[in-house]
Amino acid sequence: MPDILSLLSIAFLPLLITIILVWGIWKKVPIYDAFIKGAKDGLKTSVEILPFLLGIFLAIGALTSSGAMGFLQETTRPFFEKIGIPQELISLILLRPVSGSGSLVLAQQIMEVTGPDSFAGRAASVMVGSCETVFYVLALYFGVTSVKKMRHAFLSGIAGYIAGVMASVYLCHIM
Amino acid sequence: MMNYIWGFMLIAGIVVSLATGRADAFTDSFLASCTDAVEFTLSLAGVMAVWSGLMKIAEESGLIDHAAKALRPILTFLFPKEKDSQTLAMMIMSFMANIFGAGNSATVFSLKAMERLDAENGHSPRASNAMCMFLALSMSMIQLIPITVIKVRSDLGSASPDDIILPSIAAGLISMAVSVWICKLFERKSPDA
Repeated sequence: MPDILSLLSIAFLPLLITIILVWGIWKKVPIYDAFIKGAKDGLKTSVEILPFLLGIFLAIGALTSSGAMGFLQETTRPFFEKIGIPQELISLILLRPVSGSGSLVLAQQIMEVTGPDSFAGRAASVMVGSCETVFYVLALYFGVTSVKKMRHAFLSGIAGYIAGVMASVYLCHIM
Repeated sequence: MMNYIWGFMLIAGIVVSLATGRADAFTDSFLASCTDAVEFTLSLAGVMAVWSGLMKIAEESGLIDHAAKALRPILTFLFPKEKDSQTLAMMIMSFMANIFGAGNSATVFSLKAMERLDAENGHSPRASNAMCMFLALSMSMIQLIPITVIKVRSDLGSASPDDIILPSIAAGLISMAVSVWICKLFERKSPDA
Protein backbone atom coordinates (compact mmCIF):
# COMPACT_ATOMS: atom_id res chain seq x y z
CA MET A 1 0.00 0.00 0.00
CA PRO A 2 2.63 2.63 0.91
CA ASP A 3 4.54 1.62 -2.25
CA ILE A 4 1.62 2.38 -4.55
CA LEU A 5 1.03 5.66 -2.75
CA SER A 6 4.62 6.78 -3.06
CA LEU A 7 4.70 5.84 -6.74
CA LEU A 8 1.60 7.98 -7.27
CA SER A 9 3.22 10.86 -5.45
CA ILE A 10 6.38 10.68 -7.49
CA ALA A 11 4.58 10.31 -10.83
CA PHE A 12 1.94 12.97 -10.18
CA LEU A 13 3.70 16.05 -11.51
CA PRO A 14 5.31 14.50 -14.63
CA LEU A 15 2.01 12.81 -15.52
CA LEU A 16 -0.01 15.97 -15.08
CA ILE A 17 2.39 18.03 -17.19
CA THR A 18 2.32 15.40 -19.94
CA ILE A 19 -1.48 15.37 -20.01
CA ILE A 20 -1.65 19.17 -20.20
CA LEU A 21 0.89 19.37 -23.04
CA VAL A 22 -0.50 16.48 -25.10
CA TRP A 23 -4.08 17.66 -24.69
CA GLY A 24 -3.02 21.16 -25.72
CA ILE A 25 -1.26 19.96 -28.87
CA TRP A 26 -4.18 17.71 -29.73
CA LYS A 27 -6.61 20.64 -29.44
CA LYS A 28 -4.24 22.77 -31.58
CA VAL A 29 -3.52 25.32 -28.83
CA PRO A 30 -0.36 27.39 -29.43
CA ILE A 31 1.11 25.90 -26.25
CA TYR A 32 4.30 27.94 -26.07
CA ASP A 33 2.47 31.25 -26.50
CA ALA A 34 -0.13 30.24 -23.94
CA PHE A 35 2.60 29.20 -21.50
CA ILE A 36 4.35 32.57 -21.75
CA LYS A 37 1.07 34.44 -21.35
CA GLY A 38 0.24 32.48 -18.21
CA ALA A 39 3.74 32.70 -16.77
CA LYS A 40 3.65 36.51 -16.97
CA ASP A 41 0.44 36.39 -14.98
CA GLY A 42 2.00 34.08 -12.40
CA LEU A 43 4.97 36.38 -11.85
CA LYS A 44 2.60 39.23 -11.17
CA THR A 45 0.83 37.19 -8.49
CA SER A 46 4.09 36.26 -6.81
CA VAL A 47 5.06 39.92 -6.51
CA GLU A 48 1.62 40.69 -5.12
CA ILE A 49 1.92 38.17 -2.28
CA LEU A 50 5.34 39.38 -1.10
CA PRO A 51 3.92 42.00 1.30
CA PHE A 52 1.69 39.37 2.94
CA LEU A 53 4.57 36.93 3.28
CA LEU A 54 6.70 39.68 4.82
CA GLY A 55 3.98 40.39 7.38
CA ILE A 56 3.55 36.73 8.26
CA PHE A 57 7.28 35.98 8.49
CA LEU A 58 7.89 39.02 10.72
CA ALA A 59 5.13 38.09 13.13
CA ILE A 60 6.20 34.46 13.39
CA GLY A 61 9.85 35.44 13.82
CA ALA A 62 8.85 37.85 16.61
CA LEU A 63 7.00 35.13 18.51
CA THR A 64 9.65 32.43 18.24
CA SER A 65 12.87 34.45 18.64
CA SER A 66 11.69 36.46 21.65
CA GLY A 67 10.90 33.41 23.76
CA ALA A 68 7.17 34.24 23.75
CA MET A 69 6.54 30.80 22.29
CA GLY A 70 8.43 29.16 25.14
CA PHE A 71 6.44 31.22 27.64
CA LEU A 72 3.17 30.11 26.03
CA GLN A 73 4.39 26.53 26.17
CA GLU A 74 5.08 26.75 29.89
CA THR A 75 1.73 28.33 30.70
CA THR A 76 -0.27 25.78 28.70
CA ARG A 77 1.64 22.75 29.99
CA PRO A 78 -0.80 21.81 32.80
CA PHE A 79 -3.68 21.90 30.33
CA PHE A 80 -1.96 19.61 27.82
CA GLU A 81 -0.90 17.25 30.58
CA LYS A 82 -4.50 16.97 31.70
CA ILE A 83 -5.72 15.87 28.27
CA GLY A 84 -2.96 13.27 27.99
CA ILE A 85 -0.64 14.90 25.47
CA PRO A 86 3.09 14.22 26.09
CA GLN A 87 4.94 17.42 26.97
CA GLU A 88 7.46 16.96 24.15
CA LEU A 89 4.65 17.65 21.70
CA ILE A 90 3.40 20.93 23.19
CA SER A 91 5.79 23.20 21.32
CA LEU A 92 5.00 21.40 18.08
CA ILE A 93 1.25 21.78 18.60
CA LEU A 94 1.71 25.51 19.19
CA LEU A 95 4.13 26.12 16.33
CA ARG A 96 2.57 23.97 13.61
CA PRO A 97 -0.37 26.35 12.89
CA VAL A 98 1.96 29.22 12.03
CA SER A 99 5.07 27.74 10.47
CA GLY A 100 5.49 24.74 8.19
CA SER A 101 9.29 24.77 7.96
CA GLY A 102 9.69 25.70 11.62
CA SER A 103 7.50 22.85 12.79
CA LEU A 104 9.37 20.36 10.60
CA VAL A 105 12.65 21.35 12.26
CA LEU A 106 10.97 21.05 15.63
CA ALA A 107 9.63 17.58 14.81
CA GLN A 108 13.14 16.60 13.83
CA GLN A 109 14.47 17.82 17.18
CA ILE A 110 11.77 15.90 19.04
CA MET A 111 12.74 12.72 17.17
CA GLU A 112 16.44 13.29 17.83
CA VAL A 113 15.74 13.42 21.56
CA THR A 114 13.09 10.73 21.92
CA GLY A 115 13.93 8.56 18.89
CA PRO A 116 11.88 8.40 15.67
CA ASP A 117 10.09 5.20 16.73
CA SER A 118 9.17 6.36 20.24
CA PHE A 119 5.58 7.35 20.95
CA ALA A 120 6.36 11.09 20.94
CA GLY A 121 8.47 10.70 17.80
CA ARG A 122 5.73 8.90 15.91
CA ALA A 123 3.00 11.25 17.13
CA ALA A 124 5.13 14.23 16.06
CA SER A 125 5.59 12.67 12.60
CA VAL A 126 1.89 11.99 12.19
CA MET A 127 1.07 15.50 13.33
CA VAL A 128 3.36 17.08 10.75
CA GLY A 129 1.96 14.66 8.15
CA SER A 130 -1.67 15.41 8.85
CA CYS A 131 -2.09 18.86 10.42
CA GLU A 132 -1.88 21.96 8.31
CA THR A 133 -0.43 25.39 9.02
CA VAL A 134 -3.87 26.89 9.62
CA PHE A 135 -2.95 30.45 10.64
CA TYR A 136 -0.46 30.78 7.85
CA VAL A 137 -3.04 29.59 5.30
CA LEU A 138 -5.70 31.96 6.67
CA ALA A 139 -3.38 34.96 6.53
CA LEU A 140 -1.94 34.22 3.11
CA TYR A 141 -5.14 33.15 1.31
CA PHE A 142 -7.30 35.97 2.61
CA GLY A 143 -4.35 38.28 2.01
CA VAL A 144 -4.91 38.28 -1.75
CA THR A 145 -8.62 39.15 -1.34
CA SER A 146 -10.50 42.19 -0.02
CA VAL A 147 -11.92 40.16 2.88
CA LYS A 148 -11.82 41.71 6.34
CA LYS A 149 -14.35 39.40 8.02
CA MET A 150 -13.18 35.79 7.80
CA ARG A 151 -16.47 34.51 9.26
CA HIS A 152 -16.53 30.76 9.96
CA ALA A 153 -13.34 30.03 8.01
CA PHE A 154 -11.42 30.76 11.20
CA LEU A 155 -13.39 28.45 13.45
CA SER A 156 -13.54 25.62 10.89
CA GLY A 157 -9.77 25.70 10.54
CA ILE A 158 -9.09 25.71 14.27
CA ALA A 159 -11.62 22.95 14.94
CA GLY A 160 -10.12 20.82 12.18
CA TYR A 161 -6.64 21.43 13.55
CA ILE A 162 -7.56 20.43 17.10
CA ALA A 163 -9.30 17.32 15.77
CA GLY A 164 -6.17 16.49 13.75
CA VAL A 165 -3.90 16.86 16.77
CA MET A 166 -6.10 14.71 18.99
CA ALA A 167 -6.46 12.11 16.25
CA SER A 168 -2.66 12.03 15.74
CA VAL A 169 -2.02 11.31 19.39
CA TYR A 170 -4.85 8.81 19.73
CA LEU A 171 -4.13 6.94 16.51
CA CYS A 172 -0.49 6.54 17.50
CA HIS A 173 -1.71 4.75 20.61
CA ILE A 174 -3.74 2.21 18.67
CA MET A 175 -2.02 1.89 15.26
CA MET B 1 -9.27 40.17 12.70
CA MET B 2 -5.89 40.02 11.01
CA ASN B 3 -5.04 43.50 12.32
CA TYR B 4 -5.37 42.33 15.92
CA ILE B 5 -3.63 38.98 15.47
CA TRP B 6 -0.70 40.52 13.62
CA GLY B 7 -0.34 43.39 16.07
CA PHE B 8 -0.57 41.02 19.00
CA MET B 9 2.10 38.67 17.66
CA LEU B 10 4.61 41.48 17.06
CA ILE B 11 3.94 43.37 20.29
CA ALA B 12 3.96 40.19 22.38
CA GLY B 13 7.30 39.31 20.79
CA ILE B 14 8.78 42.72 21.58
CA VAL B 15 7.47 42.81 25.16
CA VAL B 16 8.71 39.30 25.99
CA SER B 17 12.09 39.88 24.37
CA LEU B 18 12.56 43.07 26.40
CA ALA B 19 11.40 41.39 29.62
CA THR B 20 13.74 38.42 29.16
CA GLY B 21 16.66 40.50 27.94
CA ARG B 22 16.66 39.02 24.45
CA ALA B 23 16.06 42.21 22.52
CA ASP B 24 19.08 41.46 20.34
CA ALA B 25 17.62 38.09 19.35
CA PHE B 26 14.42 39.86 18.40
CA THR B 27 16.24 42.40 16.24
CA ASP B 28 18.28 39.68 14.53
CA SER B 29 15.20 37.67 13.74
CA PHE B 30 13.32 40.76 12.58
CA LEU B 31 15.95 41.46 9.94
CA ALA B 32 16.35 37.78 9.05
CA SER B 33 12.59 37.46 8.52
CA CYS B 34 12.68 40.17 5.86
CA THR B 35 15.32 38.28 3.90
CA ASP B 36 13.52 34.98 4.42
CA ALA B 37 10.27 36.35 3.07
CA VAL B 38 11.92 37.73 -0.06
CA GLU B 39 13.87 34.52 -0.64
CA PHE B 40 10.74 32.44 -0.19
CA THR B 41 8.82 34.64 -2.62
CA LEU B 42 11.62 34.29 -5.16
CA SER B 43 11.63 30.51 -4.81
CA LEU B 44 7.86 30.55 -5.19
CA ALA B 45 7.93 32.93 -8.16
CA GLY B 46 9.45 30.31 -10.46
CA VAL B 47 6.93 27.60 -9.60
CA MET B 48 4.14 30.10 -9.76
CA ALA B 49 5.05 31.34 -13.22
CA VAL B 50 5.49 27.79 -14.56
CA TRP B 51 2.14 26.57 -13.21
CA SER B 52 0.31 29.65 -14.38
CA GLY B 53 1.80 29.01 -17.81
CA LEU B 54 0.80 25.34 -17.85
CA MET B 55 -2.67 26.13 -16.55
CA LYS B 56 -3.10 28.68 -19.33
CA ILE B 57 -2.50 25.85 -21.82
CA ALA B 58 -4.99 23.65 -19.97
CA GLU B 59 -7.51 26.48 -19.97
CA GLU B 60 -7.22 27.24 -23.69
CA SER B 61 -7.40 23.56 -24.61
CA GLY B 62 -10.58 23.06 -22.58
CA LEU B 63 -8.96 20.52 -20.25
CA ILE B 64 -9.97 22.54 -17.20
CA ASP B 65 -13.66 22.47 -18.17
CA HIS B 66 -13.50 18.72 -18.59
CA ALA B 67 -11.90 18.18 -15.19
CA ALA B 68 -14.42 20.45 -13.47
CA LYS B 69 -17.32 18.62 -15.13
CA ALA B 70 -16.00 15.21 -14.10
CA LEU B 71 -15.83 16.19 -10.44
CA ARG B 72 -19.15 18.05 -10.38
CA PRO B 73 -20.97 15.67 -7.94
CA ILE B 74 -18.51 16.23 -5.06
CA LEU B 75 -18.14 19.88 -5.87
CA THR B 76 -21.86 20.69 -5.79
CA PHE B 77 -22.02 19.35 -2.23
CA LEU B 78 -19.09 21.48 -1.10
CA PHE B 79 -19.71 24.55 -3.24
CA PRO B 80 -23.43 24.56 -4.09
CA LYS B 81 -23.39 28.05 -5.61
CA GLU B 82 -20.13 27.84 -7.50
CA LYS B 83 -20.75 27.62 -11.25
CA ASP B 84 -17.54 29.01 -12.73
CA SER B 85 -15.53 26.08 -14.07
CA GLN B 86 -12.24 28.03 -13.95
CA THR B 87 -12.60 28.70 -10.25
CA LEU B 88 -13.62 25.11 -9.56
CA ALA B 89 -10.65 23.88 -11.58
CA MET B 90 -8.21 26.02 -9.60
CA MET B 91 -9.62 24.62 -6.36
CA ILE B 92 -9.40 21.04 -7.62
CA MET B 93 -5.83 21.56 -8.76
CA SER B 94 -4.94 23.01 -5.38
CA PHE B 95 -6.39 19.97 -3.60
CA MET B 96 -4.68 17.55 -5.97
CA ALA B 97 -1.32 19.27 -5.57
CA ASN B 98 -1.78 19.15 -1.80
CA ILE B 99 -2.69 15.46 -1.80
CA PHE B 100 0.34 14.60 -3.90
CA GLY B 101 2.66 16.66 -1.75
CA ALA B 102 3.42 19.49 -4.18
CA GLY B 103 2.99 22.21 -1.57
CA ASN B 104 4.29 25.20 -3.51
CA SER B 105 2.16 24.35 -6.54
CA ALA B 106 -0.84 24.00 -4.26
CA THR B 107 -0.22 27.52 -2.94
CA VAL B 108 -0.20 28.84 -6.48
CA PHE B 109 -3.56 27.28 -7.37
CA SER B 110 -5.09 28.31 -4.07
CA LEU B 111 -4.16 31.95 -4.47
CA LYS B 112 -5.56 31.98 -8.00
CA ALA B 113 -8.76 30.39 -6.70
CA MET B 114 -9.01 32.97 -3.91
CA GLU B 115 -8.56 35.84 -6.37
CA ARG B 116 -11.37 34.46 -8.51
CA LEU B 117 -13.63 33.85 -5.50
CA ASP B 118 -12.96 37.41 -4.37
CA ALA B 119 -14.02 38.79 -7.74
CA GLU B 120 -17.18 36.64 -7.69
CA ASN B 121 -17.88 37.97 -4.19
CA GLY B 122 -17.75 41.51 -5.59
CA HIS B 123 -14.55 42.27 -3.62
CA SER B 124 -16.72 42.40 -0.52
CA PRO B 125 -15.03 42.68 2.90
CA ARG B 126 -17.22 39.76 4.06
CA ALA B 127 -15.94 36.30 3.14
CA SER B 128 -18.33 34.25 0.99
CA ASN B 129 -19.44 30.76 2.00
CA ALA B 130 -17.45 29.33 -0.90
CA MET B 131 -14.30 31.03 0.40
CA CYS B 132 -14.85 29.67 3.89
CA MET B 133 -15.39 26.15 2.57
CA PHE B 134 -12.31 26.38 0.37
CA LEU B 135 -10.27 27.55 3.35
CA ALA B 136 -11.71 24.84 5.60
CA LEU B 137 -10.71 22.20 3.06
CA SER B 138 -7.28 23.69 2.41
CA MET B 139 -6.52 23.85 6.12
CA SER B 140 -7.26 20.16 6.57
CA MET B 141 -6.39 18.57 3.23
CA ILE B 142 -4.71 15.18 3.52
CA GLN B 143 -1.37 14.32 1.99
CA LEU B 144 -0.81 10.82 0.62
CA ILE B 145 2.90 10.68 1.35
CA PRO B 146 4.33 13.17 3.86
CA ILE B 147 7.64 12.77 2.10
CA THR B 148 9.71 15.27 4.11
CA VAL B 149 8.77 13.69 7.44
CA ILE B 150 9.55 10.23 6.14
CA LYS B 151 12.94 11.47 4.96
CA VAL B 152 13.67 12.97 8.38
CA ARG B 153 12.62 9.71 10.06
CA SER B 154 14.82 7.54 7.89
CA ASP B 155 17.77 9.94 8.34
CA LEU B 156 17.37 9.54 12.08
CA GLY B 157 17.52 5.76 11.78
CA SER B 158 13.87 4.81 12.19
CA ALA B 159 13.18 1.08 11.86
CA SER B 160 10.09 1.79 9.77
CA PRO B 161 10.07 5.36 8.51
CA ASP B 162 6.85 4.97 6.52
CA ASP B 163 4.61 3.33 9.13
CA ILE B 164 3.29 6.81 9.90
CA ILE B 165 1.62 7.07 6.48
CA LEU B 166 -1.66 5.38 7.34
CA PRO B 167 -2.12 7.09 10.74
CA SER B 168 -1.33 10.40 9.01
CA ILE B 169 -3.99 9.85 6.36
CA ALA B 170 -6.51 8.72 8.99
CA ALA B 171 -5.81 11.72 11.23
CA GLY B 172 -6.00 14.00 8.19
CA LEU B 173 -9.39 12.59 7.21
CA ILE B 174 -10.74 13.11 10.73
CA SER B 175 -9.46 16.67 10.72
CA MET B 176 -11.05 17.27 7.31
CA ALA B 177 -14.41 15.82 8.36
CA VAL B 178 -14.55 18.08 11.42
CA SER B 179 -13.53 21.13 9.40
CA VAL B 180 -16.15 20.59 6.69
CA TRP B 181 -18.82 19.71 9.24
CA ILE B 182 -18.28 22.93 11.23
CA CYS B 183 -18.21 24.90 8.01
CA LYS B 184 -21.51 23.42 6.79
CA LEU B 185 -23.05 24.05 10.20
CA PHE B 186 -22.28 27.76 9.99
CA GLU B 187 -23.29 27.91 6.36
CA ARG B 188 -26.79 26.79 7.23
CA LYS B 189 -27.03 29.38 10.01
CA SER B 190 -25.79 32.30 7.97
CA PRO B 191 -26.21 32.04 4.21
CA ASP B 192 -24.43 34.37 1.82
CA ALA B 193 -25.72 37.93 2.06
